[in-house]
Amino acid sequence: MTTVSEATPLSSAMRSRDATVRRFAFTDTVFREATRSSAVLVLLILSGVAVSLFAGSWEALSKFGFSFLTTEAWNPVTENFGALSPIYGTIVTSAIAILIAVPIGIGIAVFLTELCPRPLRRPIGIAVELLAGIPSIIYGIWGLFVFAPFLQTTVQPFIIDIFHNVPGLSSLFAGPPYGIGLLTSSLILAIMVLPFITSITKDVFDTVPAVLKESAYGIGCTTWEVTRRVVIPYTRVGIMGGVMLGLGRALGETMAVTFVIGNAHRISASLFAPATTISATIANEFTEADGQLYTSSLVALGLILFVITFIILAIARYMLMRIDARTGA
Amino acid sequence: MKPMLSTDLNVAEAAVEKAKIEVKNLNFYYGQSKALKDISLSLPERSVTAFIGPSGCGKSTLLRVFNRIYELYPRQSAEGQVLLDGRNILDRSQDLNLLRTKIGMVFQKPTPFPMSIYENIAFGVRLYEKISKAEMDGRVEQALKRAALWTEVKDKLNASGLSLSGGQQQRLCIARTVAVKPEVILLDEPASALDPLSTAKIEELIDELQADYTIVIVTHNMQQAARVSRQTAFMYLGELVEFDRTEKIFTSPREKRTQDYITGRFG
Repeated sequence: MTTVSEATPLSSAMRSRDATVRRFAFTDTVFREATRSSAVLVLLILSGVAVSLFAGSWEALSKFGFSFLTTEAWNPVTENFGALSPIYGTIVTSAIAILIAVPIGIGIAVFLTELCPRPLRRPIGIAVELLAGIPSIIYGIWGLFVFAPFLQTTVQPFIIDIFHNVPGLSSLFAGPPYGIGLLTSSLILAIMVLPFITSITKDVFDTVPAVLKESAYGIGCTTWEVTRRVVIPYTRVGIMGGVMLGLGRALGETMAVTFVIGNAHRISASLFAPATTISATIANEFTEADGQLYTSSLVALGLILFVITFIILAIARYMLMRIDARTGA
Repeated sequence: MKPMLSTDLNVAEAAVEKAKIEVKNLNFYYGQSKALKDISLSLPERSVTAFIGPSGCGKSTLLRVFNRIYELYPRQSAEGQVLLDGRNILDRSQDLNLLRTKIGMVFQKPTPFPMSIYENIAFGVRLYEKISKAEMDGRVEQALKRAALWTEVKDKLNASGLSLSGGQQQRLCIARTVAVKPEVILLDEPASALDPLSTAKIEELIDELQADYTIVIVTHNMQQAARVSRQTAFMYLGELVEFDRTEKIFTSPREKRTQDYITGRFG
């Protein structure tokens, strides 16, 4: 070791210390540059993707201009392309999925953190995480061969029957029951994003100081009141972050959605009708896209999805950052 | 093991004053380890009782038995009796939420709820009482005045409870506890995270509150115990070593261990 001891003459001690300092400075530099270039690499890849998406979609964007975003038509024969129905399908399926998954996910998280008997806690937690591990192709075939026929024969006729006289709802749930369609993919997406929302919500619930919960119980709150009035308000920013991450995932999900959405470029009032999403359109049509404009339009769809997802994730990060800052204080 | 404490004096006092809380042969366990050993004592109504002793002696544990807050955690259990007005609160049939409205608690660190100052107080009241907005305004004002916080916050009742300073937050927590009209107030080192000025305010407050409430305070600060309490319990390693009038404990304790502790010669 190069520590200075009383017995060593001062000069030699200083020399060996200088050598050590130089060695440290060298390894420090190597380390700093290595980590810096890793970080820069990520930025390069990200901007590479953005640039190539933009370049690839240039032809479509320059031909159609802003109307690309507002046109529903998608006609490869006449080469007239508009992104409105995939955008609509993407946003609506994701929004419904989130609407379904958020209450269930929060419910599971509350149960796991506040109510669950200890021996059950891990098994349920692991089961939820496993749900996240199932490949999306499996959700797809399960959705197509099991879930959609089930909806078609039981749930959808029932709902159509109930609401066929109710104004508004009758067009929202109009027949015929195809099985596949907008709502079916929303349900599948809800199952897929559930584990994300659950595990993030569970984690932020764990950041609530025990003593805060104790004080709420201490003035006579029930578990429901503690959750509703203390735990959720305290963690709402984190929960929003979890929801946004789930939303980001739902927006981009391709395989499972492609199987069950029906891939129809049209916007219908009915949630039972077949529709399409951005990623499903790209996956379905890329192999058969002949002609530059067709391909370019698909790339433009990708660019739109990239932008939507980027915005959603940025919002999610920002919200998580805010809760971190607060619990750190 | 026989309790080391002779209880003649307590019995004599209890005969004069009505006991609010009576603890009988209380044992407490964290899993296998025994944290309270055969504790018996009785706390007279409308007075301040202090629990003192070194860290880990079980004083906070004893406090947490009184409102059964320990039951939030698995593997913690109490046996024996704790009588509140003669009824055993450790009984299975005791409704926990009702118990906790009768026995309020203030913690070491201020714990304002994530809501406005007004709501921090109204929230607890609203849980068990249906009252009009005007009545609620009155209750909030009264509670804040009680906690000597009203003049400081009356112009910003809608600001977040988290925006207050540490000392103000702690008084807000006391106001919140007082607002639900409990009978007993448990204070778990309420001033240990505060500066001397805020501490003085809290102590003044405790002094005023004892006219209406039975107060139990756990403290590390012996001067504080001497200043605010009427009787003091000295605990050590899960045992109640000595329980007596505060002047007696601090001037002529019976036990050598008590004397060593209060003179700082411990361990």
